[in-house]
Amino acid sequence: MFGFLKILAANVAKGPSTDPFPFVESPAPKRFRGKVRLNPALCVGCAICRHVCAGGAIHIAGRPDGSGYDFTLWHNTCALCGLCGHYCPTGAISMSSDWHSAHPQTEKYDWCERHFVPFLACEGCGEHIRPLPSALTGRIYADNDVDEAHLARLCPQCRQLETALHLGRNGHEDHKRA
Amino acid sequence: MSSLDNPTSTLPIGPVHVALEEPMYFRLDVEGETVRGVELTAGHVHRGMEALALRRTLFQNIVLTERVCSLCSNSHPFTYCMAVENLAGIPVPERALYLRVMAEEIKRVSSHLFNLAVLAHIIGFKSLFMHVMEVREIMQDVKETLYGNRMDLAANCIGGVKYDMDAELTRFLLSSLDRVEGAVRKIAKIYGSDVMILRRTRGVGLFGREDARGLAVVGPVARGSGLPLDVRREAPYAAYPRLSFEVVTEQDGDVHSRAMVRMREMEVSIDILRQCARDLPAGPLSVLLPEIPAGEALARSEAPRGELVYYLRTDGTETPNRLKWRVPSYMNWDALGVMMKDCKVSDIPLIVNSIDPCISCTER
Repeated sequence: MFGFLKILAANVAKGPSTDPFPFVESPAPKRFRGKVRLNPALCVGCAICRHVCAGGAIHIAGRPDGSGYDFTLWHNTCALCGLCGHYCPTGAISMSSDWHSAHPQTEKYDWCERHFVPFLACEGCGEHIRPLPSALTGRIYADNDVDEAHLARLCPQCRQLETALHLGRNGHEDHKRA
Repeated sequence: MSSLDNPTSTLPIGPVHVALEEPMYFRLDVEGETVRGVELTAGHVHRGMEALALRRTLFQNIVLTERVCSLCSNSHPFTYCMAVENLAGIPVPERALYLRVMAEEIKRVSSHLFNLAVLAHIIGFKSLFMHVMEVREIMQDVKETLYGNRMDLAANCIGGVKYDMDAELTRFLLSSLDRVEGAVRKIAKIYGSDVMILRRTRGVGLFGREDARGLAVVGPVARGSGLPLDVRREAPYAAYPRLSFEVVTEQDGDVHSRAMVRMREMEVSIDILRQCARDLPAGPLSVLLPEIPAGEALARSEAPRGELVYYLRTDGTETPNRLKWRVPSYMNWDALGVMMKDCKVSDIPLIVNSIDPCISCTER
């Protein structure tokens, strides 16, 4: 009993251990799994995030006019598990340390992460495509001497043709050198 | 109804607020203040999670199983992932094995502190309850800083882990462990010597070694009755074969023994965490997933409450054909009938808490 009295006295002297929120900010650690954020510049619309999302919080839909696609993530459906960010190939999805989740009932349908990702016309055939972000082309063509910026603006078929021609030319030159 | 011929009367306890804030219904035959017979009724929080698992992909089930229970929320996805890995023969990288052990042991320390705090709460020793919960906050901060959440760590993915440690986080973990270790030693001394605690817990809820063997109990309930059962030792998984640790047992089989098993296990866990931090090998965190073939697999692990078993059957699609798990509380549940025999009505919450029941796991 007396052993505990010492601890009790020390705890009383230490004062309350809770943050006096909302009068002061209560910051979360850097790794805190808070609201999910999307960087639309990196999103390629592969939809792996939608595939692994446990709550079905992610919605990706192409616009009928082919101008791009809409990415919507419903914060109220999100389980904050971080699988989307873990499997995202470009690092477009990340978890912020924003833990605030109070919002009025009237805003519940707007409480989303919404982005429009535009399509561009392929420089080869003119079809509407999502240009590849440089983070991805850098990885795909890391060992190849190609014009990445140009390839990024081509549709998959034109890109295939272009790289095949490029490799063919280089291969031919290599052959001549040999 | 009590009468002169039949001196016992029926006392319903629960389903709300027996020891923890989880529903459990007891129909007791009492004679005065003494319990003569116990009948347990379960099923109040059945959520149909096994059926839900069959409608979700293998990925989505990592998240679903993490939400079976809060206190052992890491053991469920961890064991589930092991079942998938066993089925598809996925080799988990060495670094991931250590990181998985770290997540498990951090959760174990928090879970045991919670159970011990609740013991003080039931006795009515509220200041001790507050103190133990405060010590647990150190572990909660560790979880929040390392994993990003106080309860659901989301540490596991199929084929590895989702988080990594760096030098700064390791320093933070080790300094937090030092703080917890000092506090746990002091708490252990109080639980081992305080008259109020000893009088309420010694010789209460007796559960002998033979009973423990007969009812096949697991975890701290078995170890509190002198049975050295620990999946980490018997069927080593993850990085446990490479770590040295003691299987804690106590011989008396009462509420106090089970509390002291948990108390000493925390020190063992802290030691395991230090070994992991010291030996953490370099390397990748997860592997690329192969196709998950049709088949069935089993995985076992030692959750804070005891042995957790996952059974998985797949049919070659991304959705499991059957996912079943057996939780430790299901095995320990029946022990209550033995423990409560001839106990006082006022000891019921203490005895229930001493098996650390998890109703949400058991009924899912």
